[in-house]
Amino acid sequence: MSARREKLTSPQTRVALARGNRPVQHLLPIPEPVDTERARRLFRAQRRVAVRTVALLSALLFGMSGAFALFPVLGRVRWAEIPMSWLLLTVVVYPSLFGLALWHVRSAERVEEGDPEHGPEAGASAPRSAGPDGSGR
Amino acid sequence: MISVLAIGLVLVTSLVIGVYGVRAARSASDFLVASRRVTPHWNAMAIAGEYLSAASMLGLAGLVLKNGVGAMWYAVGFTAGYVAVVALVAGPMRRSGAYTVPDFAEYRLGAPRLRKLCGLVVLVIMLLYLVPQFKGAGVVLSLVSGTPYWVGVVLAGVVVSGSIAAGGMRSATYVQAFHYVVKLAFIAVPAVYLVAVAGADTRAEALHPEWGTRFPETTPVEFTVGTRFHLEAPVTVTDASGAPVELAAGEHTVAAGTEYVFPAGAGVPHPAGLPELGGGQWRTPLLGTGGFALFETWSTLLAITLGCMGLPHVIMRFHTSATAHVARRVGVGVIALLGLFYLFPTVYGLLGRVLTPQLVLLRGTDTVAVVLPAEAAPGTAGTLLTALVAAGAFGAFLSTSSGLLLALAGGLSHDLFQGSVPRLRLAVAVGACVAVLMALPVEGIDINVLVVWAFTVAASTFCPLLVLGIWWRRLTLPGAAAGLVVGAVTATGAVGWSILAPTPPGWPAVLLAQPAAWTIPLAFTTMAVASRFTRPPDWAEHAVLRLHSP
Repeated sequence: MSARREKLTSPQTRVALARGNRPVQHLLPIPEPVDTERARRLFRAQRRVAVRTVALLSALLFGMSGAFALFPVLGRVRWAEIPMSWLLLTVVVYPSLFGLALWHVRSAERVEEGDPEHGPEAGASAPRSAGPDGSGR
Repeated sequence: MISVLAIGLVLVTSLVIGVYGVRAARSASDFLVASRRVTPHWNAMAIAGEYLSAASMLGLAGLVLKNGVGAMWYAVGFTAGYVAVVALVAGPMRRSGAYTVPDFAEYRLGAPRLRKLCGLVVLVIMLLYLVPQFKGAGVVLSLVSGTPYWVGVVLAGVVVSGSIAAGGMRSATYVQAFHYVVKLAFIAVPAVYLVAVAGADTRAEALHPEWGTRFPETTPVEFTVGTRFHLEAPVTVTDASGAPVELAAGEHTVAAGTEYVFPAGAGVPHPAGLPELGGGQWRTPLLGTGGFALFETWSTLLAITLGCMGLPHVIMRFHTSATAHVARRVGVGVIALLGLFYLFPTVYGLLGRVLTPQLVLLRGTDTVAVVLPAEAAPGTAGTLLTALVAAGAFGAFLSTSSGLLLALAGGLSHDLFQGSVPRLRLAVAVGACVAVLMALPVEGIDINVLVVWAFTVAASTFCPLLVLGIWWRRLTLPGAAAGLVVGAVTATGAVGWSILAPTPPGWPAVLLAQPAAWTIPLAFTTMAVASRFTRPPDWAEHAVLRLHSP
């Protein structure tokens, strides 16, 4: 690596100055040699995971606010002098959101790893040696 | 005075960092590769640092004081937005190689003209997001230095464009990461100190709003606008000339410029149009000043959670991750950092109700975070803390506005015209001017109202585009265009009407002020139905499948 100094620019500036010398993206091939059926299965599995996360997120947000409306007792019960509903809204919800997001990411990664033709992404750009069985290509 | 010095220090430091700090940092033979090697931790901190804007630094505390604990739903929404980003958008967007949403639209649907329509939507969203930043800067500066509001706004605009022109364009990821630490420190340190120093009585009073709200000490209140308020009990105030004035219980109207001095222990008057300070609605953790608290909470949550992914400066950050795997994990990191930050604004609002309730009468609750330290901790400590919060808030506006202006100019440059450095500078300057001009008349509007407006537009336009584009193979170009137009017009129009023009009370007012509950489904439906009538190109399925293959 030479010692040539380069101007580091912000991501926004790089975006602005990068322009259409990039190949038409949608026509690039899917990186791995794979058949469409497998890709479709992967897509549907990922969609299931995404739907599940969105459903849980909705349940958390709308459920908690609905509970505040339906159960005023949550405003009267206190923990360390702080009303329970306040505690839920200002403190408890954040680790819940974090946990939900982390669970989603782990599930999505498991879907990707579980697919027999695809390994973790680190090797995606390197040419892959032939798998245990020909994939038909 | 010391606050002004502190603000000046923050400005100078930012300029210096922008010009020199980055050059001293590293050398790399290929800065694209170098930025891809920035560790996810730095990236997450940079995203969080840029995302926390005036709404989070000042607006939240002010809204908690004015409307009650329910205002913290904004913070929950801001954070939940990243859960939606991680779940729906982060990975696939990274795989598409797109830098911006208009970029993604071209990848997915293939037409450069859609890109221009998207560019226009970007313009609307970013301006709506920039204006409250400048408003916040104007408010803070006028508070600490006594200059009129417009001076602060214009100064903020000049400083932001100046710092970008001087070298802010080279600000690297780690500078934004540093801003997260700064913002966290500036909101957390005074909050912790204030809670500790407030005393057990004040803390108990802050947690028991049902005990009533009173002036903690003799407080002069100068009504800057004509105000109608309601008194529970009669009180004797002193007017500007020192003569006592008997105010009976019941409704009163005072003209602009009237000054009353309220005695210590007097109940705080209840201004018309606001929830009673500490009353039932204030105590209930739901959003909404109308009678439809649950609907308003749900609609606002929808807007903020789904709008996050549509914010141009949010999505633009993910392409610096090396892979989709990393991009998702960065998003999770952002959630943790945001959650940590949002533990603190409540403190200012709760303590403010006890110690600075007069702010509600002045309609200037956005300033509570800056006013509170001096009230709660008199003497040098209070002055230092005020300087800390003021400087931190001003620094926050600077960093967020710079990021926003760059994203605005950069996105426009990338998507609407050919980019070049001088063009970029011009775009930044023009953008700043327009934002400053639009910020001047909005002193009376809450920061968060304006920010949520930006989110609503993003949620009604780019959210359906991204979600349907990534997860549905049958989205077509005419469908997307139709949905974008419908979403943009309804979201911008509805909120604009509710802010700028009188609205009939009751359900119409609520539906216009928080339109997300109907504009978002409308946009989705329009896109879906219009797509059904047209055929997607043959490569559409391939384009979608490619987004989900590692």
